[in-house]
Amino acid sequence: MIEIEALRKSYRKARGLDGFSLHLESNELVGLVGPNGAGKTTLIKILATLLPADSGSVRVSGHDVSADPVAVRASLGYLPDVAGIYQDMRIGEFLEFFADAFRLKEPQRTAAIERALERAGLADRRKDFVEHLSLGWKQRLLLSKILLHEPKLLLLDEPATGLDPLARIRLREQLKRLHSEGVAILISSHILTDLEDICTRIVFIADGKNVLERQTDARAVGLPSPTVTCVLEFEGSAEMLDRTIANFPGARVLEKRGGFLHIELSGSPQQGSVFLGRLLAAGISVLHFDARGPGLEERYRRAFGERTP
Amino acid sequence: MRRYVTNPMIIKELRQRLRERRSWLLPTLYLIVLSGIVVCVYYFSIDADRHLRGAEVQGADIGQAVFVAVVLTQIIVLLLMGPVFSSGAITIEREQRTLAGLLTSLLTAPQIWWGKFVAALLYLLLLLASAIPLLALPFAFGGVEPLDLVKALGSTILTLASICTVGLWCSATFRRSVHATASCYAIVLVLTIVTAIAFGMLYAHWQQGHPGTPGPPPHIQAPLFLNPLYPLLTLIDEGDFRFYVYPVSSWLLFTALGCLAAAFAMRRLQHSGEQL
Repeated sequence: MIEIEALRKSYRKARGLDGFSLHLESNELVGLVGPNGAGKTTLIKILATLLPADSGSVRVSGHDVSADPVAVRASLGYLPDVAGIYQDMRIGEFLEFFADAFRLKEPQRTAAIERALERAGLADRRKDFVEHLSLGWKQRLLLSKILLHEPKLLLLDEPATGLDPLARIRLREQLKRLHSEGVAILISSHILTDLEDICTRIVFIADGKNVLERQTDARAVGLPSPTVTCVLEFEGSAEMLDRTIANFPGARVLEKRGGFLHIELSGSPQQGSVFLGRLLAAGISVLHFDARGPGLEERYRRAFGERTP
Repeated sequence: MRRYVTNPMIIKELRQRLRERRSWLLPTLYLIVLSGIVVCVYYFSIDADRHLRGAEVQGADIGQAVFVAVVLTQIIVLLLMGPVFSSGAITIEREQRTLAGLLTSLLTAPQIWWGKFVAALLYLLLLLASAIPLLALPFAFGGVEPLDLVKALGSTILTLASICTVGLWCSATFRRSVHATASCYAIVLVLTIVTAIAFGMLYAHWQQGHPGTPGPPPHIQAPLFLNPLYPLLTLIDEGDFRFYVYPVSSWLLFTALGCLAAAFAMRRLQHSGEQL
């Protein structure tokens, strides 16, 4: 869906991207994470055909971004970090305009508008003016707008900025649903908990370069993690627990604090389930078990801890 | 070609423009100003004719005076309004952060430009059309031919179209509406006042070497070719006016100016993603 190789982009006084590479498959929901000025917005703007790259290759849906921008635009939906909206238009008119701007012909045009209104939850408010909507509703309308032409890829630059918690939850659910419908998504955000919840993969970027890349979810397809870290809270005999850990191949205690343990297991993510099974079989009372490894905040701290003030 | 006729930008722009309060306020003020001019010129002409010819008042004199006054007032007022409607057209999209949505749709830069241009010009044409009854009034007095009306309207439309393209070029070049509008007004001032001053200086110098010659040659009139009022000088009765006017030169120059400004504006618009 996206193939970026050694992408470079400089501004007059600063370097936006410095050899950044990324491959995004059609079944992925990738989070783009990095400190301010890392090059996230520049990258998304290049993908959206708004900025020309200095060097490197960028292909979206098989089309070169600089050689065939129209085909690229037809295949993606772009939501900028601060997305403007025509306040003096009615909701229906706003969607009709963009349906025409994406050259939708009847009967697909009417169907796309109806679908967008349904998706945004604004079907009964199509005659209301956009200015009367709250920020959360406007964001839903904008997201529905960029889906009018049924793109296979979404580029979202800080879509949750300024939204209240409920609107953020709705946005997350909508993105999960779109992903399940086969839409690939590249999302840039500073709200790590949101990304952790929805992304199949996180890409770290700093100073315009790749920093590191890891699977966030054991369910995600692709490369297996070499180790699994588990957090365990238990009740009962510590002796039995120590024996179970000692008998489990590849298990290592990283930290032990009262009834809490931080354990590393070598092997695939499924090792977590196997290990939990052994604990239960040994009669250990498990109060809490989490085999998802370190959270995104921890990973972010490890990647950028030295960079942020 | 069909894409430019059924351009969604035109509908969107007209819809937004006609929802503004100024969409009905401006035509009202415009017609009040023009009507006031007609009344003033009418009474002034009667008074002047009575002083010149006693009790006898010539309808043709009144007709021509009213026509010239309305045509000149109209173009001056529209030259002041043209930058307002054109030079904010693209900057407002930038200021409202809606330009990225347009540039990432399947609308091309020429389509966006064309939509903005047609919408700006159509509003000015609406004002022009609303004043046609006032322009037709002199026909009741005589002294004006239908061809004069066609020439005056054609020349005004061409000039306004050029000013709109200049305004759109300013709008595509500058980030903020206030800078674009100020630049466009500066260009209109140069075209109307600086060209007249330049002509005045050239004419004065030329006249010293050619005393008694009835009118200046084309090269002396050249600065006026870019003056929006110049082609309308043909409407003034040649018996009172000593110049031979070359309106075609002016029309060609305004067309060239419009095409050039349009080309630059579209180029700027294509690269405006960098300003977002």
